[in-house]
Amino acid sequence: MNERDFYTKLVDLYAGRELGKELEEDLLAYAEKDPALKQDMESLRSTVDVLRNQGGVDFTEESYQRVLMKIYSQGVEFEPRRQAPSYLQYHLPLQG
Amino acid sequence: MRGNRVFPMPTDATQNAQNSMAEKRWLNALAQGDPQALGHLYELYGERIFRYCYRMLGNRSDAEDATADTFLRVLRRSAELRADGAFRTWLFRIARNLCIDKLRQHRLMELPPDAQYSGGEDKATLRITVQQALAELPVEYREPLVLCDLEDMAAREAAEVLKISVPALKSRLYRGRKALREKLGGTMERIQ
Repeated sequence: MNERDFYTKLVDLYAGRELGKELEEDLLAYAEKDPALKQDMESLRSTVDVLRNQGGVDFTEESYQRVLMKIYSQGVEFEPRRQAPSYLQYHLPLQG
Repeated sequence: MRGNRVFPMPTDATQNAQNSMAEKRWLNALAQGDPQALGHLYELYGERIFRYCYRMLGNRSDAEDATADTFLRVLRRSAELRADGAFRTWLFRIARNLCIDKLRQHRLMELPPDAQYSGGEDKATLRITVQQALAELPVEYREPLVLCDLEDMAAREAAEVLKISVPALKSRLYRGRKALREKLGGTMERIQ
């Protein structure tokens, strides 16, 4: 394996920030002489960063309650630790 | 001086140990047929399972269905439960199987994801762009990205969920990241 192949194999670890400090410095130094490798490293790291900084998917109160209702609808009964907020509770229409 | 005593805030490690002990207690109760224990497990894992399903399926309604089905399946298969730390892996594996089933149905029915990308790179749009790009990846690439990069799961555990070796997982992760980069294309160039 030549030097370039070796450093190319480290790109994924660099992108995932899993590379040891010393090896990362070696890779960065080598990449200064190899623009294509540098571009590959930076774009892959940016992709991983964007993915990791996506932020959480909101597990909203509505979703929490709907999942509970689906479980209850299969005949499984348990007391939820959180009560449904009043705006989500179903009110029967008044008779009369 | 007693009145000034400061109680240490629970650390992540303390919290994890407490969750682990609680999880064992509830798994034992569930194995003995106590449905209340399922409620506790839902409190503990519901959000993570929902997030995983949402990222796999791309829409809230299916993610809610898959989350509910995951916990129902846990209840039905409670005799197989093991309170030895492998529960989380087992739970994700159940969720994964249900998501794969739903994706097959989607392929047959051609259901669209929740959000459609229409260009522009502000934060919300970028989130949709990435979600859409992720949804367009083949499942074998999407899964490791969701587990490792989005759910921050260790490679070994993610490999167990997917029933593949750690080197195979890392290979898929690498290919998945490259495929995602291709999908994001111009968006990534503008971010850089």
